[in-house]
Amino acid sequence: MKKILIAVVISALPAFAFAQQNNIGTCGWGAKLFDGQSGVVPQVLAVTTNGTSGNQTFAITTGTSGCTQDGVVKSSWKTAMFIDGNKDRLARDMSIGNGETLDSLAHLIGVREEDRASFGRTMQANVSVIFPSGSTTDDSVVALKQVLRSDRELAQYATSI
Amino acid sequence: MSLLPRPWWVFLCFCLFAPCIAHAAPYLDELIGRSRELRLSEQREWHRLMHYTSNLVTPGVHGLADSRRFYLAPDGKTDPRSELEATLAAFFSDVQETDKEQNPQCTFIARFRWLDGQLGFDPARLKKQTCKRFNEWRETLNPQGLTLVFPAASLNNPSSMYGHTLLRVDAKDQNEKTRLLAYAINYAANTNETNGIAFAINGLFGGYPGTFSMMPYYLKVREYSDMENRDVWEYELNLSPGEIDVVLMHVWELGPIYFDYYFFDENCSYYLLELLEVARPDLDLTSEFKWWAIPSDTVREVVKKGLVRKTVYRPSNATVIRYRLELMSPNERALVNPLARGRASTADAAFTDLRAESQARVLEVSYDYLNYLRASKSPVEHPDELARNLLLERSRVGASSDDPPVPVPAVRHDQGHGTSKFAVGGGRRDGLNFVELHGRPTYHDLMDPEQGYVRGAQTEFFDLVVRDYSGGVGARVEDFTPLRIVSVAPRNEFFDPLSWNISVGWSRRRLADGSEPLVFNVNGGPGLAWTVPDTLRSNALVYAFLDSTLQASTRLENNYALGIGPGIGALIDLTGRWRAEPYVRAQWFFAGDTDTAWTAGLRQRYTLDREWALRFDISHEHQEKQSWNTVLLSLHHYF
Repeated sequence: MKKILIAVVISALPAFAFAQQNNIGTCGWGAKLFDGQSGVVPQVLAVTTNGTSGNQTFAITTGTSGCTQDGVVKSSWKTAMFIDGNKDRLARDMSIGNGETLDSLAHLIGVREEDRASFGRTMQANVSVIFPSGSTTDDSVVALKQVLRSDRELAQYATSI
Repeated sequence: MSLLPRPWWVFLCFCLFAPCIAHAAPYLDELIGRSRELRLSEQREWHRLMHYTSNLVTPGVHGLADSRRFYLAPDGKTDPRSELEATLAAFFSDVQETDKEQNPQCTFIARFRWLDGQLGFDPARLKKQTCKRFNEWRETLNPQGLTLVFPAASLNNPSSMYGHTLLRVDAKDQNEKTRLLAYAINYAANTNETNGIAFAINGLFGGYPGTFSMMPYYLKVREYSDMENRDVWEYELNLSPGEIDVVLMHVWELGPIYFDYYFFDENCSYYLLELLEVARPDLDLTSEFKWWAIPSDTVREVVKKGLVRKTVYRPSNATVIRYRLELMSPNERALVNPLARGRASTADAAFTDLRAESQARVLEVSYDYLNYLRASKSPVEHPDELARNLLLERSRVGASSDDPPVPVPAVRHDQGHGTSKFAVGGGRRDGLNFVELHGRPTYHDLMDPEQGYVRGAQTEFFDLVVRDYSGGVGARVEDFTPLRIVSVAPRNEFFDPLSWNISVGWSRRRLADGSEPLVFNVNGGPGLAWTVPDTLRSNALVYAFLDSTLQASTRLENNYALGIGPGIGALIDLTGRWRAEPYVRAQWFFAGDTDTAWTAGLRQRYTLDREWALRFDISHEHQEKQSWNTVLLSLHHYF
């Protein structure tokens, strides 16, 4: 029941609300998403998917470029970037309830040691919600936030996404 | 104070960077004077920071950086002193930092730090800039350590035939479980070239700009582990916090700079060594690599110099799948392929009858295997939906598979045999005795001891065999092969790679009159390989190639010969040290100088230790209706 509720909330959630909450509308290419186009993070990361390139995005000392600043990911983007860059591994770890990629995500959003077990269980129970079929990274980021928010213990971590 | 003699362009730089020239000039003069007294421009630190290297023939040095922006003086690339003085002048600039521009003190922050340490800049007379962008960058990296990362060789990627190295900046708040979040510093040829041959040629002659870039380590792990299936070794370095800071400052300086990228010497591995030398100027890592810098050799050097604190092994996706398939029961294994390809369902009795741990194992391996298929572009229908269903099923299984992690290999990539080889041998060929000298600068052939190398991957450059025959024939070059690459990759129900081989060089060919000219030879072709009798884990590897040959020589009829034919054989490890390879190769030369040529033989190797091996080869050859036997015993030394 809870899952269905969450799914309803997510599908109803306009993308711009997420953008405003996270103040990421200012991030370079990010503007595109909020004009009603889809897939901001995939655009940002398109350069990295074929492996060797990506020098443009990650060049050092080039100032602001999309979601990076002088070669490092801006803090407002790091979770979205991580999820986009690790989709397959992250979904896998979530379905198992633990693993290196899930540990790294937990660390990234500041999940404390004592909440790790419950974080793992919650992720395992909600893998279908966080990675709905045909989902984009944006969908997953929004869904992850919602899943955390609707869990009493983990709600505190929703704000750091 | 009298003005020191200075070239005119110091004033020019100075004018560009510092409108307040009138106030600063005396202090600049003073600093330049002191730098000359202290002979700072002759110091090793300065040379390291500026990437100066000694000229090959003439006296003096030249800088390796190829962007104009790196050397501030017009003759800075060859004159360390004039560069140092131009740098001091630039530090007086009052340019304010913006998103696109920095003050020279920040642009060249490692130089500033070092010169400040040597000369003790007076903040009242030389205003220190805050370098906000650098500070924020450093804060994000939050460095605690540096790790040298070494992905194994990949024959199917021409830029990685020998492997690759990069540097990882480990943050203070990370641990072994969260290293994915670290940043990687990568030096690579900056090109979108997809044509392997064009890439190789340009790479050989410095045709691409090499640049440093930074990216989250998880992107590199995905590239190596999931997309290219290369195992990775990580070497944690024991640098001090101060040394790490110098490396980062210097990387910051190199951000917008390019170097001409050369495959063999000035490559990724070479420049990472230079970075470490900047951190610890007393260290000499690069002088070993004047001519070529093979990643595994550079890693050996770093290990040898005592820079490594700890090593970590990161198996690739394919390695993990292989290992877990081996652990599986036949019932479990039989489900993986059908599930990953959507030909079986988790509702089938074969799956539902399994215990929960078994189900977890089957689902995890099936999902990983599906990802492998996707990465290797194998046709799978609706892969996303399949993947998602496997994950949903897995999330419903509460149990854990509890499979142990992939065991760490006993020998690391940097612990195999030396990459250069020299061999002496003696034998008898067609009734004549001979002694043989055999040299090969790099890297590995299939009969060399395999530990530390990628199984089935042979890469050799400039292999030369010279023999001195009895019976009046005398000394001659028997074979010279500048390039030989062989990839023998076994197939089974899960993995279906193609094998291939190519060699280019000169070898002896028997003619009808009995003479044996040295003939230019291009040979190669596709093939298939399997381990037998168990396709998952046996020690015997059987291969079959379909090779073509083009020979060219004025001694041949019509000056050429074109042939085709099979090459079959087996690599059999009788013990850990003893390998045997029976083989048969035939070529039907149907155009040009026609002939039917074939060879059958048995090669054997016995490993004595890491640096020595014995070989015993026997063969029977048939060319131009003549045939003869060869026996060769040789001792191989790796260094």
